[in-house]
Amino acid sequence: MKTAIDIALRHFPDLRRAAQALLLGLALLSGPAHAALDGVTGTDFNLTAKDGYISMGDGATVYMWGYALDGGQMQAPGPTLIVNQGDQVTVTLTNELNEPVSITFPGQQNAAAVGAGGADGLLATEAAPNSSIAYTFTASNPGTYQYHSGSNPALQIEMGLVGALIVRPAAAGQAYDSPSTAFNQEYLFLLQELDPFIHEAVEAGTPVDMSVRRAQYWLINGRSGPDTMFPSAPGTPWLPSQPYGSIARTHPGERVLMRVIGGGLDLHPFHTHGQNFRLVAKDGRMRETLQGISGADAGISDFTLTVAPGQTYDAIWIWSGRGLGWDILGHAPGDPCDPLAEECDPTSPDYDHGKPIPVALPEQQFLTFGGFWSGSAFLGQEGPLPPGEGGLNLDGGFFYMWHSHTETELCNFDIFPGGMMTMMIVEAPGVPIP
Amino acid sequence: MMMRVYVVVMKVALTFLASVFAGSVGADVYVQCPGDTDGDGVADDFTDPEYLAHPDAICMSITGGDGYINMADTTVTGGERGRQLYMFGFADVTGIPPLDVIETATTAAWFPAPTIEVHEGEELYLSLTNVGMAVRPDLDDPHTVHWHGYPDAAPLFDGLPDVSISIHMGGTLTYYYQADNPGTYMYHCHVEATEHMQMGMLGNLYVKAGQDDLPHGTDLSGFTHEVGFQYAYNDGDGSTYYDVDFPLQLASMDPEFHDASELVQPLPFALMNDTYPLLNGRGYPETIIPLDLANTANGVVSQREDSLVTAMQGDKVLLRLSNLSITTFFTIFSPQIPMKVVGTGAHQLSGTNGADLSYMTNSVTMGGGQAFDAILDTADVPPGTYFLYTSNLNYLSNNTEDRGGIMTEIYIRDPNTVENLPNLLGAVDKNQDWLSAGLTSGGLAVDDTGGTATSSDLAAALDAAAYERAQILAQRDLLLALRDDNPTNP
Repeated sequence: MKTAIDIALRHFPDLRRAAQALLLGLALLSGPAHAALDGVTGTDFNLTAKDGYISMGDGATVYMWGYALDGGQMQAPGPTLIVNQGDQVTVTLTNELNEPVSITFPGQQNAAAVGAGGADGLLATEAAPNSSIAYTFTASNPGTYQYHSGSNPALQIEMGLVGALIVRPAAAGQAYDSPSTAFNQEYLFLLQELDPFIHEAVEAGTPVDMSVRRAQYWLINGRSGPDTMFPSAPGTPWLPSQPYGSIARTHPGERVLMRVIGGGLDLHPFHTHGQNFRLVAKDGRMRETLQGISGADAGISDFTLTVAPGQTYDAIWIWSGRGLGWDILGHAPGDPCDPLAEECDPTSPDYDHGKPIPVALPEQQFLTFGGFWSGSAFLGQEGPLPPGEGGLNLDGGFFYMWHSHTETELCNFDIFPGGMMTMMIVEAPGVPIP
Repeated sequence: MMMRVYVVVMKVALTFLASVFAGSVGADVYVQCPGDTDGDGVADDFTDPEYLAHPDAICMSITGGDGYINMADTTVTGGERGRQLYMFGFADVTGIPPLDVIETATTAAWFPAPTIEVHEGEELYLSLTNVGMAVRPDLDDPHTVHWHGYPDAAPLFDGLPDVSISIHMGGTLTYYYQADNPGTYMYHCHVEATEHMQMGMLGNLYVKAGQDDLPHGTDLSGFTHEVGFQYAYNDGDGSTYYDVDFPLQLASMDPEFHDASELVQPLPFALMNDTYPLLNGRGYPETIIPLDLANTANGVVSQREDSLVTAMQGDKVLLRLSNLSITTFFTIFSPQIPMKVVGTGAHQLSGTNGADLSYMTNSVTMGGGQAFDAILDTADVPPGTYFLYTSNLNYLSNNTEDRGGIMTEIYIRDPNTVENLPNLLGAVDKNQDWLSAGLTSGGLAVDDTGGTATSSDLAAALDAAAYERAQILAQRDLLLALRDDNPTNP
């Protein structure tokens, strides 16, 4: 049997050390109270359309086009632009590719090209090769959006000219102008897929037939599993053009904001292990019964999200560990109750304090152990493991895979596992999250 | 040829397995169930303190292993069954003594997996014994159960092998679930998910609402509950009331992948191409045959779920729809009878402030891992036969055979005629509990005081079942004849 860990170890012998460095390193990084979204803030951005390469989880290299920040390295996806509601935003695009490129900002008001030098493209004014063009828009509405090329878009989106745009409302710690969208942690999941043969053809300059496209790599934030679980830049120097990891962490009871973007050309059913999410917005608009009044009260609860091309979604995910019928903290009845992670009201049906697991677990020789299994069923604890097992879970957290439930997309080309998967880690109360 | 390979491999495999089990130490097949003293997953000691401490426990003993099924393309094979596929799957061994479990379940997996029905408030002790893949003795794969959608899941019982434990051949892992939240879920093995799910380790799982058990006459915001009333969710107002429910799980299979697995060849992940779209493990017209079907490899009755929807005119019919295809989004279409979608993701469609978000539609689109609860109101539907199928019309096929795939029929019966008795047949097949399920929903006279049915009721029911069976087989013959008349068919 091959596990994600086996594959990862094969390609990255230092994986365990790297993962431990990641977890420790993240803990040591200083940062704001909320997990910072990877990206660039401001009102004026300089993007360059250029080519480069990305690495897949199976070790393959794929030729890409992408947006680079300030003339730097091509990156996939493009830089996440983080602006504030009401900002007048200017994005200057320099085209270093050999065909016209543009940017369109779906959902933004008054988006237009400014200045001279542009030509009319399919969806946006575009910059000819070796020229520049500037766009402006007013970030009127908070939310999760994307930007992408409006020129030759079927091919250029396949090639990677896509990025995320986040518009923050005035109130900190909220996705929208409503406390119903408040969050403790926020994470971005930009889903893409690609057909490597198209990329080979583009690189070689041979004719491209998009009608026979069949994706073979599936990406979250520009990486395929297991690379998705590595940290963001600068923690992954071996992924220089894929700066954004997608591992997510939270504590019991905290509100996690999932910002999900359909950044490719196919549909993906995105499944959240561990708990349902509650959709609060779609395409940058809150799901509300009374616009401007009720808050995000009209979002559905679900365990799988249909992520369609071009659409964006905001959802709140809260894991509380309640209702299991046993104490996930592994308490004895006399231990103090921890209201952050368990129900402490003895009259509640969810009161599981001090209850043991109702079944006996098999002896070790009957079991396979996952690399993220701490050896203990209890949050924040570690238990005995056979030599060489486990080791990727330093704080006894609970790991939940968030992944495409089209399971063919859990492959990197012909190899399982990989693809469109990452992990959400629920850490014990008190374990620091950067 | 395939059969001979199978027999040889079987012999090797069983020898291999025997050596494994002879050499193992510890618990082997070890099914845990409160009040069960002989390890068969059925409580027998009703004074056992564990039994008394868990009055709401229900137990199920299932196995993970391999086996065979047949597809519905009988016009291609020319036989009674269509193309034979090797598969991995679960089987129900509840009631089988532990020493017989491995022999019983070796190369005897089911597709779809045994349906798991739980009532809100129950504690499910679900024991999974890995009996190994006898046709593939080179594989030492563990298995798991992933209760897809279980709220606030613990990794221990989430079945994701990377983050948890999974069970080896010859061992048993008992999963424990407290069922607090009604709704339509699904379950599958999560080990090497792309492979094990393509191979068939998928099944229906749903939790019935606690609101069903309210005292007779309880007022629900103006709706009066009566004994026997059922609801998809604890809606508080009767808006998810139904008379009969049918779990319908979509899936799809790639025969080349299955053949490669059987013949120990590299698995075509990148080329995966599902050409058998399936509803509860069958393509049309086998979806409407309310019989358990035996495979052609070893005669094991491995396909035990039909998809025939039968109701009396006036019934509200709850379709518990889920999709566990690992390749395809399907749109399921009810062109004649509109659906009221009352739930998704095992949650009632209501907002955080209680706003009713249910909606009327003729179709729902489901990606893998999605579930919908849809209610058909048949009050104004004339008795007759209606269709439910995927409107991705290219999937109305069984591989090369046209007129198949994800399609089933809805029989709406006239409550005033005698032919309309046999809703029973489905109940017999599905539950073995036809006294409670079949007689109340099937239209047989049952006195309102809850008295038990008489033997003449049973005889009538059996006659009716035989009648319906004959009708369905005749209809199938007609279908096959129609196909034969079609020159475009292979």
